[in-house]
Amino acid sequence: MAAVRTSSEIGFNRVAIVAVLLVTIIFLAPIYWIASTAFKPRNLATTIPPTVVFQPEISPFVKLFTKRSQLRSPPTPEEYAAAPWWERVVFDGGEKIVRDGKGQVQWSGYPSRFLNSLIIAITSTVLAVGMGTFTAYGFSRFKVKGEADLLFFILSTRMLPPVVVAIPMFLMYRAVGLNDTHVGLIILYTAFNLSFSVWLMKGFMDEIPKEYEEAALVDGYTRMEAFFKIVLPEAATGIAATAVFCFITAWNEYAFALIMTNRRAQTAPPFIPSQVGSGLPDWTVIAAGTFLFLLPVAIFTFLLRNHLLRGMSFGAIRK
Amino acid sequence: MTQIELRGVQKFFGAVQVIKDLNLKISDNEFIVLLGQSGCGKTTTLRAIAGLETIDEGDILIDGKPVQHLKAADRDIAMVFQSFSLYPHMSVYENIAFPLRATRKSKSEIDSEVRSVAKTLQITDLLGKKPSALSGGDMQRVAIGRALVRRPKAMLMDEPIGALDAKLREEMRAEIKRLHIKQGSTTIYVTHDQIEAMSLADRIVIMHEGVLQQVGSPDEVYSRPANLFVAQFVGSPVMNVADAAVAEKAASVSVTLGDAATGFEFPRALLSKLNGHAGGQLALGIRPEGVLVRREAADGFMAVETQIVEPLGSFDIVDLKVGSNMLRARTKSGFISGPGERVFARIDPTQAHFFDKASGKSLEVRL
Repeated sequence: MAAVRTSSEIGFNRVAIVAVLLVTIIFLAPIYWIASTAFKPRNLATTIPPTVVFQPEISPFVKLFTKRSQLRSPPTPEEYAAAPWWERVVFDGGEKIVRDGKGQVQWSGYPSRFLNSLIIAITSTVLAVGMGTFTAYGFSRFKVKGEADLLFFILSTRMLPPVVVAIPMFLMYRAVGLNDTHVGLIILYTAFNLSFSVWLMKGFMDEIPKEYEEAALVDGYTRMEAFFKIVLPEAATGIAATAVFCFITAWNEYAFALIMTNRRAQTAPPFIPSQVGSGLPDWTVIAAGTFLFLLPVAIFTFLLRNHLLRGMSFGAIRK
Repeated sequence: MTQIELRGVQKFFGAVQVIKDLNLKISDNEFIVLLGQSGCGKTTTLRAIAGLETIDEGDILIDGKPVQHLKAADRDIAMVFQSFSLYPHMSVYENIAFPLRATRKSKSEIDSEVRSVAKTLQITDLLGKKPSALSGGDMQRVAIGRALVRRPKAMLMDEPIGALDAKLREEMRAEIKRLHIKQGSTTIYVTHDQIEAMSLADRIVIMHEGVLQQVGSPDEVYSRPANLFVAQFVGSPVMNVADAAVAEKAASVSVTLGDAATGFEFPRALLSKLNGHAGGQLALGIRPEGVLVRREAADGFMAVETQIVEPLGSFDIVDLKVGSNMLRARTKSGFISGPGERVFARIDPTQAHFFDKASGKSLEVRL
């Protein structure tokens, strides 16, 4: 269709494009900054004016994953020559990698924190979305006594800033021994995400015509089979959208992770800034840690982007 | 061999009773149409037979066995929905195969049955497509295919062609009829469209506000409506109904409609057929084709004035002013040129229906 556009429409379009570009730049600038700092040599990380053109280095990542100590004296030339390339990078930075008695490289705290983050965020997302989907299906398809009150009650768990309950939660967790455990954080994040998941999934479930399941029921399937064979595939879009949101919330959560964990079950968000305080802050290492931390969400969102876009355009978050 | 029987079925939605003491026997291979306005309980009845809706009282028997406590899956009944309800994430093939996969049939058996149903419905070339790529008529064929493939004891259809456009609806109507004749299975079909009901049904079941009004062949419900509701619901254009007063005359009986000055002439036999109701509150029903119109005065014809003429192509519907009532008559097209014309009309006594106004019931007067 060759639509005729007036000059004012063309003008408006140009303004809109410029505005969108500006907003995009504002949103992406910090990410660019983190990414570029993660590859910068340490001495260029804090220059004023900022260094934009530089030779990218991998050393921040080597430092991120290893335990290091300050060099008291420079390494001997033999030591330097015998060291692998990644160890030399650390020598160049005036530090050395700590090894145990058997000469094994000591890992930093980052990989285990990262793994904790993955375990806790994925498990709590699966639980929150799973339970939310079942609950939403029940609310959507069956007559539940006091349905509106129950749904309001579920939503009311989000009416306080979560941090308000941090101290009571901490005391309760200490009493039952859930402090600094994976299970503790998983329960916390699942509970936190569940109300969101129920409400979002209810919207998606309501959009799926009841006749689909009824057809399956008449076709000889039980309600459970109909749920898994018909409703779930139809709700995939909504499940994906809900999962992305729940995952991001659990992945990025900082306050409770800081209060409830200190070592064993600590996640990456409280760990990364804790590295600022040890000695002179090495911003390149912190940027490298943050950069890696951004990746799972970016990958997860990228993989589900089609579902997410469709999910955004129908169902509960349409309005 | 499938007989379905409803015995004293009652159903409430909260305080509202949607099915009131429904009794119905459906014999093997019969094509039954449940006809009524929306909200009359016809769909609820169908869903109750399917097992998608529980009933509060009564029995639903399939082949003599009560099934009201069985799950939908265990009743061996297939259903076609108004929305077709094809599973969007499955191909046409998978949609049709889906009911078979619930039974433990082998892959090759399923494949051959899907293909044979597809062949019957001429949708073989659609098997690889997704439902979203189909036209309305094809979706409907697939939905019927999915219902047929399992060779169920009975087919239930809930306004299956209601969502199609007029031309396609007519085509599909014929196709459903053809299919029923060929496949021959006990079928219950719900519609609010009386033309659909008349053209498809072996017997029509007319419902109103949860109450069964009449069960009969299309001809029976059309020519011998049991009550005023059926009389006015079945047939298009709608039957004329007016208050009637019967007066005895010398050689005949005069039936005056509403506040008209003169009455239409009826044979004396009417008096005995009315069987004492002659003096009561009566309503006369007459279909437009039962109102005879001529241009010249004749014996037994009454002078009336034409009002509106609706040309409907093959015939015209003319409104005749009788007192303050309008009597709609069916004439040859172009027979009346326009409003304000003076013509002569009479009511064909053989096509007249008399109803008791209070109960609405037909007095079964046949002249």
